[in-house]
Amino acid sequence: MQRRNILSVIVMHGVLIIVALIMIVPFVWMVLTSFKTVGESVQLDPFVFFPSEIRMEAFTRVFTTNNFLNLYKNTLLMIAFRILCAVITASMAGFAFGRLHFRGSDIAFSLVLIQMMIPPQIFIIPQYQMISRMGMTNTIFALVFPGLVTAFGTFLMRQAYKMLPKDLEEAAKLDGLNIGKTFLLILAPLTKSSLIALSVFTAVFAYKDLMWPMIVNPSKDALVLASALAKMKGQYVSNYPELMAASLIACVPMIILYFIFQKQFIEGIATSGGKL
Amino acid sequence: MKNRSLRSAMTTNTFLWGWALILPTVIGLLVLNIIPLIATIYQSFHKTGDFGKGNIFIGLKNFQKLFSDDAVLQSIINTIKYTIAQVPFSVIIALILAVMLNKKIRGRSIYRTIYFMPMVVAPAAIAMVWRWLYNSEFGLINNLFNLNVNWISNPSIAVFSIAIIGIWSDIGYNMILFLAGLQEVPKDYYEAADLDGASAVQSFVHITVPMISPILFFVIVTRMIAAMQVFDTIFMVMERSNPALYKTQSLVFLFYQSSFVERDLGYGSTIVVVLLMIIMFITALQMIAQKKWVHYN
Amino acid sequence: MKKKIVSLCIVAVMTSALVFAGGDAEKAKVAPSKPLSVMIWDSNQEPGIRLIIDDFTAKTGIEADVQVVDWNNYWTLLSAGAQGGSLPDVFWMHSNESQRYMSNDLLLDVTDRIAKSSLIDPKNYPEDIWSLYTYNKKYYAIPKDIDTIALWYNKTLFDEAGVAYPDENWTWDDLYQAAKKLTKADGSVYGFCNVNTNNQAGWYNLIYSNNGYVISEDKKKSGMDHPNTIEAMKWMEKMINENLMPPQNVMSESGEDVLFQSGKVAMTLQGSWMVAAFRDNEYSYANCDIAMLPLNEKTGRRASIYNGLGWAISANTLRADDAWKLVEYFGSEEGQLRQAELGVTMSAYKDTSEKWKNSVPRFNLQAYLDMQDDMVIRPFSRNTVKWENAVLDVMLKVWSKEMPMEAGCKEAARQMNEILAEE
Repeated sequence: MQRRNILSVIVMHGVLIIVALIMIVPFVWMVLTSFKTVGESVQLDPFVFFPSEIRMEAFTRVFTTNNFLNLYKNTLLMIAFRILCAVITASMAGFAFGRLHFRGSDIAFSLVLIQMMIPPQIFIIPQYQMISRMGMTNTIFALVFPGLVTAFGTFLMRQAYKMLPKDLEEAAKLDGLNIGKTFLLILAPLTKSSLIALSVFTAVFAYKDLMWPMIVNPSKDALVLASALAKMKGQYVSNYPELMAASLIACVPMIILYFIFQKQFIEGIATSGGKL
Repeated sequence: MKNRSLRSAMTTNTFLWGWALILPTVIGLLVLNIIPLIATIYQSFHKTGDFGKGNIFIGLKNFQKLFSDDAVLQSIINTIKYTIAQVPFSVIIALILAVMLNKKIRGRSIYRTIYFMPMVVAPAAIAMVWRWLYNSEFGLINNLFNLNVNWISNPSIAVFSIAIIGIWSDIGYNMILFLAGLQEVPKDYYEAADLDGASAVQSFVHITVPMISPILFFVIVTRMIAAMQVFDTIFMVMERSNPALYKTQSLVFLFYQSSFVERDLGYGSTIVVVLLMIIMFITALQMIAQKKWVHYN
Repeated sequence: MKKKIVSLCIVAVMTSALVFAGGDAEKAKVAPSKPLSVMIWDSNQEPGIRLIIDDFTAKTGIEADVQVVDWNNYWTLLSAGAQGGSLPDVFWMHSNESQRYMSNDLLLDVTDRIAKSSLIDPKNYPEDIWSLYTYNKKYYAIPKDIDTIALWYNKTLFDEAGVAYPDENWTWDDLYQAAKKLTKADGSVYGFCNVNTNNQAGWYNLIYSNNGYVISEDKKKSGMDHPNTIEAMKWMEKMINENLMPPQNVMSESGEDVLFQSGKVAMTLQGSWMVAAFRDNEYSYANCDIAMLPLNEKTGRRASIYNGLGWAISANTLRADDAWKLVEYFGSEEGQLRQAELGVTMSAYKDTSEKWKNSVPRFNLQAYLDMQDDMVIRPFSRNTVKWENAVLDVMLKVWSKEMPMEAGCKEAARQMNEILAEE
């Protein structure tokens, strides 16, 4: 028994390490490229793995041409408000779709599904026109606008609410709670892990969204990280060391945040709220 | 008699609460997404003028053109090939990894963070890496294994090479959802199974999969939809000059070309409408099939 | 207890969201839009453009804010603005798009302002550039810059192969002979490189030097099946079939510029917009140089395709006078000299590009200036991209050796004529 356990742990680590190596390649690539010269970054044959020396020029240049403090601030505000909106609207709708049986819910839910089936590119121009007519271009509100509601999140939360045991409502009814209180006091707290997953997704989607911020907030002070990076890509050729240095500065905080957060995400829940 | 009115009062109550709770989402979706969709459907029946002005109604002509357009038919095949290759692997691998990382295993927070990294790494870095890995002359894969394969320029395999990139980028996303779902599986189920002498594989099949089937269902449905809309990976890795592009480009890629590059909004909208119908059909099948395998408590 | 805290949190979050949705939106405004908004798509030119605007602001007191949006999103944004009614005050125009914008009255008609201006005289700029931004005999933009095409070669590879550098007497046949000597049998070096999608800097120049054409003057007919065109393109077929260029898939996967910068190809045709890229790459900076395009022996022509952007003003701008002053300054001799001197691009104003020539002393930029003697405007019509893509897709088959050149040219012409008939 014991030996079987050790063996299975070794096999598991073996698998996990191999996958980890595959996953980390682009990140390592970014780091190495950011230290290379422009020539080294596109050299094909022989291919240059390691920069001939560690050069910080790309970083200094990127730091002087971009106001990263402002970029982080705008990005963070966008992410925070989008998470807020997603958590609230998706929880409410997810609970209603997952736990309540009422007339019209099927049709309303099909709207949610249909939204996901349409290529997002078709929303850009109409949504831009709405923002433009409101006179809200170059604002934080414009950045948050397409994320006011989330079909993906609503679907996710519906599934999360459906997974909860049936007898919860019965117990709540015996305690004399109405639907709203049952939702807020009994059920919502039990979906914490799904809410965190939703937050992670919302954050990553918002962080990666490039086309929308670029179009709606092109002004220098209103840029977010993704659009500042997109701007750096030239029409014909790109300066890859600088592009990678900037990308690195942009994504490292996200990775650190996730590292701190994921402990909460899994271990925290397993010991407290996860019990049924 | 009294009972019935009580029940109808309850139904009304539920109805009101239900609509109150979904109202923000429904209004948001209507304004942000459904109105643009209606405009798209409208455009698909028109020869569109510049900048939304001067549209001419042409009935089903766009659809006739579409169904006789070889490129569109080919792109439907490409899209389906991609979906069949990408979705199963990205779901199964992510599920296995999530189960492993849900155990008390050393270094799991490091693993979880590394698996998260592809989600935030710059798209430009991803494109650069894969283009180099796949490069037939100077790429790592061919040089390492002494092969001579045109990974992204051979028409018969390029779509699968693109699918590998898709699997690679989706594993992290799917894993996070599975990890969240696994939190909701009560530990005592496993303990009971352990006492009964069930193997790890048995408890995975008989406990884990049924218990997280709502999330599994969610992941499969959303991943299928996303795979049917594949665009970014193709756009990043393949040039217009690539001989394999014709046998790789997806429906959304064609839509993007028509609407945003060649400025033919009417035809682009027609492609979207057809895509929507295909995805709706597949999703409807899945919604029906879920009754057979998804367990809600 | 714990549950209570969580639900309290949710309530708190909800109320704060309501506040946010209601009142805070207005406050969240990041920047007031007081200066003129100027939109461009090339971040490489941004620093130079900013400096020119600074000069302008110092002179007039009018401020302007430059916004850079990458090429793809630029046109999405402009067409969204055009439909929603809010374009930037001042922005770049390109020949691929100008016809649609002008014919829909989205650009400010500047004909009268030019007539009154002491700084702008149409005869100081190439006539063809004006034609890109003229509609019904009215001007809708001021020429910003021009670009021409030249031959880039790798001196080191030429030295190794013992081949003399290209000079002004070179013909296309000389290029072919040199490519033969430069190409190594093991496939490690190819003499020449022109991927099918590089038309403007590549094979269009062959066609026009041979007195062929791509599109007729009246924009109604394709010239791809013209005998002169086919004759010129047969030269390219020779390069393809004798493997003097890398295989199509290699050119596509790696890109012409990367192959050239890695010493894999000895010659390539590139536009003047690539100078900055070859300057910043230390390999090409050390090993490469520029020559004029070869001469066509039969016609005696050495044509270069050229193109130029224009500075346009939104028809709906609230500050037409200020916007005009800015555009007038960009187009004036002073602004154009400054643009050339800062190395931003070649300028459209006559004889202002001498200063640009010195912006990278190591390269023979004079070659690009000399190419101005026989310039042909980049073929365009109302919907250029549509037929251009169709032609490129047919050429892909020729470049992949699936179709002979003559059949390819005829097929391309057929498809192009079909599209032109719909315009």
